This record gives sequence, structure tokens and C-alpha cells, in this order.
Amino acid sequence: MDTSTDRFKILLCVDGSEESKRGLRYAVRVGKGNDADITLLYVRPRDPSLGTGGIDLRLVRENVLDWGLELPGMRALEEARTQLIEMGFMDAHWRSKAVNREVSGDPVGDSMIVYTSETGAQIVLKNMVSPSVARGILDECDLNEYDLTILAMGGEKEGSERGRINWDVTRTVVLDHHGTVLLARGIEESHGHLICVTNDQKSIEAAAKDAVMASRCDCPVHLFSVSENEEGIADAEAAIVAAREAIEAAGVKIVDQAVEVGDPIDCIIARGQPYSVIVLADSHVKGFRRFFEVSVGYKVLQFAHNSVMIVR
Amino acid sequence: MTDKAPKTLVKSGARLSGNGSLRSLFNFLRERRWLLVALLVGAILFFIPPPEGLSEEGKRALIMTLMAVILFVTEPVPLPSVALMIIVGQVLFLGRATADVAESLMSDSVLFIMGSLMLAVAIVKQKLDKRLAYLIVSMTGPKTLNIAVGIALISGLMASVIGEHTVAAMMLPVALTLITLAKEDGKSIRGVAAILLLSISYGCSIAGIGTPSGGARNVIMIGYWREFFYDPLSPESGRYLISYFRWVMYAYPIFLIQLPFLTFVLFRVFKPEKSDLSRAVVKLREQIAAEGPMRSRDWVAISVFVFTLIGWIGFSQNIGLGVVALTGAIAFLVMGLTRWEDMNTGVNWGVVLLYAAAISLGVEMKDSGAAEWVASSLLAFLSPIGVDSGPPLWLTIAGLTTLVTNTMSNGAAVAVLGPITLDMAASAGESPIRLGFITAISSSFAYFTVVATPACMIVYSSGYLKTRDFLRVGYRMAIISLFFLMIAAMFYWPLIGL
Repeated sequence: MDTSTDRFKILLCVDGSEESKRGLRYAVRVGKGNDADITLLYVRPRDPSLGTGGIDLRLVRENVLDWGLELPGMRALEEARTQLIEMGFMDAHWRSKAVNREVSGDPVGDSMIVYTSETGAQIVLKNMVSPSVARGILDECDLNEYDLTILAMGGEKEGSERGRINWDVTRTVVLDHHGTVLLARGIEESHGHLICVTNDQKSIEAAAKDAVMASRCDCPVHLFSVSENEEGIADAEAAIVAAREAIEAAGVKIVDQAVEVGDPIDCIIARGQPYSVIVLADSHVKGFRRFFEVSVGYKVLQFAHNSVMIVR
Repeated sequence: MTDKAPKTLVKSGARLSGNGSLRSLFNFLRERRWLLVALLVGAILFFIPPPEGLSEEGKRALIMTLMAVILFVTEPVPLPSVALMIIVGQVLFLGRATADVAESLMSDSVLFIMGSLMLAVAIVKQKLDKRLAYLIVSMTGPKTLNIAVGIALISGLMASVIGEHTVAAMMLPVALTLITLAKEDGKSIRGVAAILLLSISYGCSIAGIGTPSGGARNVIMIGYWREFFYDPLSPESGRYLISYFRWVMYAYPIFLIQLPFLTFVLFRVFKPEKSDLSRAVVKLREQIAAEGPMRSRDWVAISVFVFTLIGWIGFSQNIGLGVVALTGAIAFLVMGLTRWEDMNTGVNWGVVLLYAAAISLGVEMKDSGAAEWVASSLLAFLSPIGVDSGPPLWLTIAGLTTLVTNTMSNGAAVAVLGPITLDMAASAGESPIRLGFITAISSSFAYFTVVATPACMIVYSSGYLKTRDFLRVGYRMAIISLFFLMIAAMFYWPLIGL
């Protein structure tokens, strides 16, 4: 049995939406190529006690559980597990082990089921209670360093039930996360990665990192760089050359490359539209500076119509 | 589990537990920005001289109330801590004697809130919800429409005499079981789910006005009438002692007439995927049958509650609603029907503290003259547009209360607005009883948001509803409720002696 800790680890945050299901299909595609373990996480926001007029919502939860009914979240996780079995990523006979931990003020607490295959691959279902969805996701990421965190954001039309992954959750997670985050938005699997690069070491390394991951799951890789004016074209082209060298050195073939002149945010969003994922390196803008400087990655994340990955 | 098994179950909130970093500080300040806004508003107003007609004491009471309202609505800190701030503020900012403030915190209204919460936990713990489910499906049969009517009716009838949180807690598993059993064929039944769950929450909300024990807001208003207008030396002022039965006469018909409209609105807004829930009802009956017949313990619990209800109707005029509620809670404990530990963990005592402080601040508004100043200022503002008396004023007060109650708990809304509207009655030559009823009743029209009422919050916790569902149903129900409240105030209440 493989007990190494260097397997690729994917965290998929689910909320029961259609977007979660699309996100799972994408996670499986990445997971198959990278021989990954996948953790499915549903974060249940802690029940507000005073909102219920003075009786603790724990009492209500206990009453519901007494009837043998499931809490929100278990439905979403079970559906996701069924989807994984249907897609052949796991089978129903993997060994399972359940772990539960009491959380003060909550009748159920955190619960986790770990499914392990004979080869040591793992699928983990986690139902976590937390003060907020974003905080729960960040706690989980701090605890189990994932190579890729996927947030499946349904958008406003998907509704606003408790536990939904909306823009507020996404923004908080992306800004505070220490690892690579993919915001899955209407994600389609086969349209390739548009890797956007600038001429600095961090961006080149991020490009190479994503290209390797993309190639393992047969996703075509495209390179793109933007210059804000004519004077910057040489710099953008240098970024493309450097990224190409780094990616090809890793044994990945690049389908095409392009340089454009214009506003980086507009250009990237327009150019990235037909691709599965727009890939950017983490912004250099941190802390308080974030509130005074516009981060291209952040704006693309906010305004793009398709999926965006921030590589760290 | 292998060596590489994922770590789990981090202590939630650890991220804020602090490394003292700039990010933690910024997050801390961001989460408490409304506290800073409240403090800033308070500081600015403090240094502005009081307007004409408002004493320095009144200005300070008004500043405290304004700050408390900002904190109630935005909740940057736990609400019980706002209550503590009010208590400390009354001593340090308003200069009240500590003993006086302590005395103002405990009234019959607060005893009622405490007792009714303990009763709520005791009743939920009796596990009578399966009996209720049996009653509903026996009454209604398998049609979705009839089940929705049955759930709204039973929820409403119960919530008219006990707190809506009690009813919602008992009815939620009934509705969830029906929903779960009905969707076993895999198809989405969101429409059915929304109708059944919202039948509970809105059934409770429209019924809470029915009797004094239906909600803290009602008892708070009864307390204000007694506190502000009753003089033991004046027999005529005895009309401000509103009995349980008299409240029922005024308010219960308004609840009953709204019930059919609730189901109508729900079926207009949501289209049920199934008009017949036969399979679910059959399975539910099987589950209930496994419970066996009623036990003697169940009958004792029902008897204790019935005696409590009789106590409210027959004796609350003399000994107070709070004492009766506490007696009921004591009976549950003494007879071993519930354990103190259950009550202690099931009741959120912070709510008691919150209501106590809000009522105390309301009395402070009245005593300092701040309520009178706000009332006369509002009337002066409304006078040029002709809404300073009669039905236009009533509708304005009802509308204002509806807006306020949708942003904070309805009890707190009455605690804050009550002294102002009662003073408006005095200034405008209106009946304080009429305007008091309008304020208390319209404070239950908290239909727009999830957090507006306990019942909404409880059904929302099921995970089946979206926040906008409440708005879609809520504004329609608010129009209906305001309409019937105005009809009652204009035509019905005069018939019964107002």
C-alpha cells in the first residue's frame, strides 16, 4: 500500500450546486492524470444561536436527528461520492473509516469518512462546522496542505442557501489562501489552459507548475502575455520565451502563444473566454497594499465569465 | 486509516486566534467596523448641543438607543454584549444609580421571556412532534395543498399560545420527513419543500400576534401600557391593564383571517412538483405507528401545558404572565418531565439579557423625555403631509415598525419603538392602546429576511430554502398583513370597545 505523503492532493469544496458537480468532473480529470487523492469538503456555517429567539438551534438539530434525518451537507457529499463511483474514480467497495469530533454548541460536530483503495488512493468526505464557509475552507487548507483547492462557485442564480460558495466566500479564500486555488465557474474539461505570464520568476514558475498539471490530464496548454503599451511588448515577449523554455524543459508541449497590447484585465478576460481555465500567478500585492493597488489576478478572478486559477 | 490520513477537525476559528499579524488585526477591525461606526456616531452626537425641546439627559438616552439600534441591526459583536453595554452605559453615561438600573432589568416581561423559553425547551423535549405529525396527516390526507394548510393551521394554532421557536422546532422534522420521503424517486421537489417549510415559518409568524403568550413583543407592550399609563390611584387607568382574554379579542381574528391567504400566496409563488404526497404520507404513518400509543408521560406533559395556558388566561391579570410561565417551567422540572441540564443548555440566556436591557433602555427613553421628543418631532414632520392622526398615522406607524422589525428581533423593535409610538399617541390625541396594538402586531410582520424571526431561521437551517424565498413570499404577506391590521383598527376594534 502506498503510504507516501507526496501524492497530489486536491480539495474540492462542494455546496450541492450544479457547479459543484461540474467542479467534481474537472477534479476527477485532474486527479486521474496526477494520481491524486481528493477531499470533498462541505462547510456548514455554525448556527446562529440568538437568531432563533432564545432557544438554541442545537435543540432543533437534535430533534431533526432524532427523526433520522440528515443534516445539510451530507446530501451534497453523498451525491458527490455517488458521482465519483459513476465516473469510475472510486468503487463502492473501498475501505472506509469514519471519524467524528464534537464541536462545542453543535449537535453533530465535524465528521469525516475516509475511503481508501487497495493501492492507497484516498477519497475523503468532510462535513465541517465553522463560523463561516470561508473560514472552514481556510482552516482545512492550513491543516492539510493541498496542491490544488477547487472552489465551485454557482453564482447568484444558484441561490443563497446556507453553506453556498458565493463570491464573498471565494474572495476571502483566494485572498487568504497560501496555495493554488481554482475558481471553477461553468468549467468545461476539454478546452485547455490559457496560462498568462509576466516577465518575472514567480510567474514563470507558476506557468511551469500549471503546465505540468494540465498536461498530465491531457489539457492543452496555451501561453499568453499582455503589454500595457508598445514599449512593453519586448518584455511580454521575453516572458513568453522564458515561460516556454521552462514549460518545455518540463516536457510539456505548448499548443500556441500570443502577445497583446492593451489593458491586461480586459485582454485576459476576452482572450480567456473559450478556454477551460485562465491561469495566473499569485499577485504580488499583499496586506494593506491590496486595498490601494489593483491586482490583475483579483480582477480577472472577479470579472471573468469562466474558471480562473491562481497559482502559488 | 493510513499514516497519510488527512488531519482533521481543526478547531474552528483558529485562524483568528492570533499571531498578531497585520492581517489578523485588519480582519478584526473589518469584522467590528460597525462597532466603530456606532462609537463614532455616538461621539459626534455627544458633542453636538441637544436640539430644542430635548434635555441633555434625553439626548444621552437617545444616543445610547441609536448606538444600540446600530449594533442590534449590524451585530458586529455578540448581541448579549450589546445588552451588557446598555447596562454599563446607563450607569456610566446616563448617571443612573446601579441599584436602579438593576431593578429596571427585571420586570414581568423579562420573567415571561425567561419562563417561556424554559417552557419551549421542555415542550420540545417531550417529543410530541410525531403525535402532531399524525394529527396533521390524519386531518389532511395526502394532497399537498391540504397538508400545507394543515401544517400552517397547526403551526399557527400552537404558535398563537407558545413561542414560535417551540413550534418551528417541533414542526421542522415533520416537514423534512415528508420532503425526504416524497423525493425518493430522485426528482427535485423544491417547490413542495418551500411550501411546506414556509407554511411553518409564516404560519408561526402570523399567529404570534394572537395571544400575549405568542411572543415577547406582546408582553413587552403590555408591560409598557402598565408602566406608562396605569396609576393604581386612578380607577380609570385600569383600562391600560390589558388582560390575556382582551388581547385575544383584539388580535386573534387578524391571525385567523390571514391563514388562507398564506397558503394562497405560497402556492402562487411556488409551484409544487407533486399535488399528491400519498407515498410519503403512508411511510410517515408507518414511522409514527412505530411510536406506539400515547404514554402517560405524554398526557402529563400536555396537562401541564394546558394548566399553564389556563393560568395565563385566568390569573395573569393578577400575578403576571411571567410568573405563570415560570410556574409551568417549574412544573415540568418538578414532575421530572425535563431535566435542568436540558433547560440550561437549550435556552440561550443571552436573549433574556438582551430583552431585559432593551426594555430597560425603552423605559429610559420614556423617563428622560427622549421618546416624547422623537414622537413630537416625527409628528411635526408628518403633519404637513396630513398623516399626523387617524388611519394615515396608524399606517405610518405600522409601516415603520414593519421596516424596523425586519432588521432586528421583533421584541427589541417593540422595546425601542414602543415608548415612541405610545408618546405619539399622547401627542396626537390617539388612543395609546390602539397605537400600542398596531406597534406590537406589526412588529410580527418580519417576513422579508431569514434572520427576522426565529421560525424563519429554524426552517432556513434545513438547507432547502434560499434567502430570496423569504423576500418573494414576505412582501406579499406584509401587504396582506398590513391590510388586515388596518381593517381591524378601523372597523373591528371600535366594535369591541376601542
